[in-house]
Amino acid sequence: MNARFDLNRRQLLQTAAITATGLSLSAEAKEPPSTLDHGTAAEISVTGTSNALPLKGKVIDCHAHLTHRSRKTWEADDRKLIEAADKLRIDQLCCSILTPQRPATAEGFRECNRWTADGMHRFPGRVLGYCYVNPGYQREALEEIRRCVEDRGFIGIKLYNEYNCTEPVVFPIVELAIKLGVPILQHALHSHYFVEDQPRMSDSGHLAELARRYSEAMLICAHISGGGDWEWTIKAARHAPNVLLDTSGSVTDEGTVEMAVAIAGIDRVVFGCDSSMTAGIGKIRGANLSIQDKQKILGGNMTRILQRRKS
Amino acid sequence: MIFDVNAYLGHFAFRRLRYNTASSLLALMDSKHIDMAVVSSASAITYRNAQAGNEELAQEIRSHSDRLIPFAVINPFYTDWKDDLKICQEEFGMMGLRLYPGWHNYKLSSPCCKELVDAATERGMVISIPIRVEDNRQRSWLLNVPDVPLEEIIELVKTHPKAHFILLNGIGYTRCPLGRKNNGLPSNYAIGLSRLSATLANELGQIITNLGAERIMFGTGMPFNYPDPALVKLEVLDASKADKEKIRSQNAIAWLSL
Repeated sequence: MNARFDLNRRQLLQTAAITATGLSLSAEAKEPPSTLDHGTAAEISVTGTSNALPLKGKVIDCHAHLTHRSRKTWEADDRKLIEAADKLRIDQLCCSILTPQRPATAEGFRECNRWTADGMHRFPGRVLGYCYVNPGYQREALEEIRRCVEDRGFIGIKLYNEYNCTEPVVFPIVELAIKLGVPILQHALHSHYFVEDQPRMSDSGHLAELARRYSEAMLICAHISGGGDWEWTIKAARHAPNVLLDTSGSVTDEGTVEMAVAIAGIDRVVFGCDSSMTAGIGKIRGANLSIQDKQKILGGNMTRILQRRKS
Repeated sequence: MIFDVNAYLGHFAFRRLRYNTASSLLALMDSKHIDMAVVSSASAITYRNAQAGNEELAQEIRSHSDRLIPFAVINPFYTDWKDDLKICQEEFGMMGLRLYPGWHNYKLSSPCCKELVDAATERGMVISIPIRVEDNRQRSWLLNVPDVPLEEIIELVKTHPKAHFILLNGIGYTRCPLGRKNNGLPSNYAIGLSRLSATLANELGQIITNLGAERIMFGTGMPFNYPDPALVKLEVLDASKADKEKIRSQNAIAWLSL
């Protein structure tokens, strides 16, 4: 890793408090720099970051992936992820590994979770684990979640597209998540056409429905910036207070983060990259929000979620 | 200095854009220390008569020509485009084009497009091609406009070696000849960095290695996109100061003879 190019934490959070009539900086700019600032990062001259602000607390990527080991370069790829996090001042990455082919078999998701656990050991304190399961293997999935959360220290559950999240087969998973006090990160997309290769895709409307059934569940709607019509996604989650919106994805449409905050509220928006690293950081940096709001999105809200763990 | 080759003014039919007037875009640019930008009409993407968008753009930027460089949106499949091109360059001072083959119902290989590229080249205009306007997964129920196929771009640059093309909002160049070393293609195209990865796969770094920093240009896609992701790419890019300067502004200034 080349420290010369590290982003300074303050640069990361620059805010452009732009109004229709001009520019203004929030008063929070006068706060002292965070004691958690990475002191080793070299200052670099970055044009366009003169209004840099300090950040308190950790930056947590709520949606990341380590590499499946069928890929020959998995080890180097995992290292690159950590190097990218270093450059972008991301403290922790909540990672899962998915099977290349889905629906995942029980052996397939167990293997992925063993590798995630190994990643947590290879990058201690940096990689947090999501336990990936296919709810269709109910007994095996519930056993695996218990093993991963209670024995291996995983922080949550990752569900992909094997089932729509409103299908009854998913309910025991949600009930166990509530019992353990861990969040579920649900792959989601809402497009205005039928996505043929993902017929059981969930969207934020489905998550809102699930949230009404389980008001204690902590449900994270994955990648609003890569999950189709993000305006629909945000609005469909409006009345579901236990659905959080993950900002990850490759789409960098201006206004996305601000709309998520305006509709869902600041406590329900969580920062993520889903491997689109500069897009992930860039859209938070670019959002016209206060420093406190950005702090909540970048790590405060996820920290609060992780503290609800019961074991 | 930072020069953005990928900015827009006006409205887009399927989503509200903020910072889409000259004054608000300039305020956004100021806040990001972006000095100059190439702008074209976002409205012209979906207007049947794209020239109306060019006229709006010319009016909007009239007193900001020191910072906003106008490009024309020309649809060669629509009547009277030759007069539109002439007016855009000679009266409005537009220095280049933006082409939307998918939105305007033609292919880059169509004879009308060839004629437009030849005419623009004859006039010394740069031709930029947004590979996409927005992510296709979020498209309206009214239409489906796939990304411009890179294979069509390859044929275009081959058949028009004297033209100058700027490719915007694309990725996957290193998976085809466009981004590979010794690709046998003329060096008549540059690539905007707005969607290129600068970490992990690091397509941006790969293209610099393969083609040289001279072939990359800074561009944000604002106000469709937040400008910051493109700025962050420049910041984390592992490249020499000289190469970064080329990308930030020097390449665009040279191509536009500013």
